[in-house]
Amino acid sequence: MTDRRTLLKGLAAAMLLPGRGWAAAGAPVWVAAARDPDGRHALHGIAADGGLTFAVPLPGRGHAAALHPERAEAVAFARRPGTFGVVLDCRTGAAIRSLTPPEGRQFNGHGAFSPDGALLYTSEVAAEGSAGRVGIWDTRHYARVGEWDTGGIGPHDLRVRPDGTLVVANGGIATDPQDRTPLNLGTMRPNLATLDGGGTILTRQELPGALCANSIRHLALLEDGVAFAMQWQGDAAEPVPLLGIARGEDMVTCGVPEQDAFAMQGYAGSIAAAGDAIVVTSPRGGVAMIHGRDGAHRVTLRRADVCGAAAGVDAPFTLTDGAGAIWAADTGGLRLMARHELAWDNHLIAVG
Amino acid sequence: MARIALILTLLASPAAADVAQAVDVITPAYAALADSAADLARAAAADCAPEGLRPAFQAAWDDWARIDFLRLGPVETDGRALAMAFWPDPKGSGLRAQQAALAEGAAVASDPDRFARASVAMRGFAGLERLLYPSPLQGAEAELCLLTRATAADLARMGADIAAEWPAHAELLTHPGEGNAAYLTPTEARQALYTQLVTGLSALEKNRLGRPLGTFDKPRPDRAEAVAAGRSLRNVVQSLTGMRDLALALHSPAPQTQAAFDRALDLAERLDDPVLAGVADPQRRLKVEILQQAVNSAKVAVETEIGPALGVSAGFNAQDGD
Repeated sequence: MTDRRTLLKGLAAAMLLPGRGWAAAGAPVWVAAARDPDGRHALHGIAADGGLTFAVPLPGRGHAAALHPERAEAVAFARRPGTFGVVLDCRTGAAIRSLTPPEGRQFNGHGAFSPDGALLYTSEVAAEGSAGRVGIWDTRHYARVGEWDTGGIGPHDLRVRPDGTLVVANGGIATDPQDRTPLNLGTMRPNLATLDGGGTILTRQELPGALCANSIRHLALLEDGVAFAMQWQGDAAEPVPLLGIARGEDMVTCGVPEQDAFAMQGYAGSIAAAGDAIVVTSPRGGVAMIHGRDGAHRVTLRRADVCGAAAGVDAPFTLTDGAGAIWAADTGGLRLMARHELAWDNHLIAVG
Repeated sequence: MARIALILTLLASPAAADVAQAVDVITPAYAALADSAADLARAAAADCAPEGLRPAFQAAWDDWARIDFLRLGPVETDGRALAMAFWPDPKGSGLRAQQAALAEGAAVASDPDRFARASVAMRGFAGLERLLYPSPLQGAEAELCLLTRATAADLARMGADIAAEWPAHAELLTHPGEGNAAYLTPTEARQALYTQLVTGLSALEKNRLGRPLGTFDKPRPDRAEAVAAGRSLRNVVQSLTGMRDLALALHSPAPQTQAAFDRALDLAERLDDPVLAGVADPQRRLKVEILQQAVNSAKVAVETEIGPALGVSAGFNAQDGD
């Protein structure tokens, strides 16, 4: 029911802002996919207080979404190996376009818009062999206009810097095109690649040999570099760093105190950077760890099935979990913002 | 009237099982651990000769092995669960840390606070096992004695701290709500305990049995837990017993779960292979593999019987793997 106040607010928003913008979708601060108690999946807008601003149905379980910098459009991606990418109008809930990768390509869970919103980049693999590709789409009609090599195997997360440079997490894992069975764990070599706006590979950084089974999967941009979260494919009894930071030619990994070295169970699910801090979450371990931008571990927070992470509003970070809770997180702990009858999916994406 | 009668009947029926009953299994288990670890420390203080300490050491490890699958609450503080019995340790970091401590005259052993901050790998039952049973550890008798006493005292301190702090976490489990960041709803508390069972059984299958089993072509009996103390299988039995007790306290009746645990326990108790050395022998290996399958069956029973009954399943994101 629209009451007078809501109507006036809506009118004010419509007069002040372009009608296609995020304000028209209830001005969400974050967007995330979730499953409801009936098993249906949707993409939700989340307001600053944790309330829901919109819900757009998804054809299946989502993973991540890319948000258009100006228009209230989200591209939701299936989990890898992905069969769907769907462009959603978050104002109306309409599916504007469904994206299908070309023959022999599969979406791999993530994507991002160019800074001007003209292009959408999608993380993809060649189905046979898992060689990485960036799919390029013209966002006027979401037509496929080309693709680039990512310089590695099995890319997952992909981010675009304000200058238009792409950063790609080439996770290194070749998977069976039919399911997610890894095929090359003994020989995998993940890398972090940067590409310019023309697709030329500018840099490609690898971890030292002892960490070559540490799949680089998720990224958080820093002003002066990129933080990356990893998933360890080696012996679970070996404590390995799951956070890394690349600045220029330097690439460092960031350990945690011995007592917390196994807390993530070798699996980082999401990463975000805000202010002077970086958060890495592990739904398997039920922990979120906050580090400084220098990589130093500050605190380990515990919460079952926590995964989604993004910059917060009145706390450095906002986290979401599989039990429907939305948390404000800082080094002092977790504060409940809201809880919904939903299971929040892996990623929480900040608007704008 | 009929409705009131029904409600009275429900209230009068024996409290079947739930989080409170599960807590009632955990609380005495930690109390027993605190007691036996204190006994061990007292015995070590009186006489640090290895042979005499072994019975108290075995008794205390029995108590820990029974509840070591539970990774909730005070065992998560300061890495206590890791420090109580650091394993697996494929790089031998515990041995290295102890040897380094001995090289410094075991100075770390003279200060309990400093010892409490020493590497989790060198402390606890795994550390004490190297001091009480044949191991590559080299040192002068007096220094080995210092380290033995300090390790036993540290174990007793951790056991006492865990038992003392557990009631506060039990309170969180039994009083879920929006002011309780650990458990917002009763379902979350049930899910947390359920998850402990599933991950505990999975660790038993993959680590305690799976690491020594290795592959048929490359069995790894050297990778079994607590070989020197002769209790690789004993830890399996204790852990299965503890998990069975928790499972049936959390949900009962659970006939499939009970039968699956009973079968696994029966197989383990009849397996005459205390350090699982048989994994390298094709005939005897089969028995360990059958036990491992029985542990897996117990996990499946918990997942298919108790999970749905409690309305919980493994974490949405925890199981995602993306």
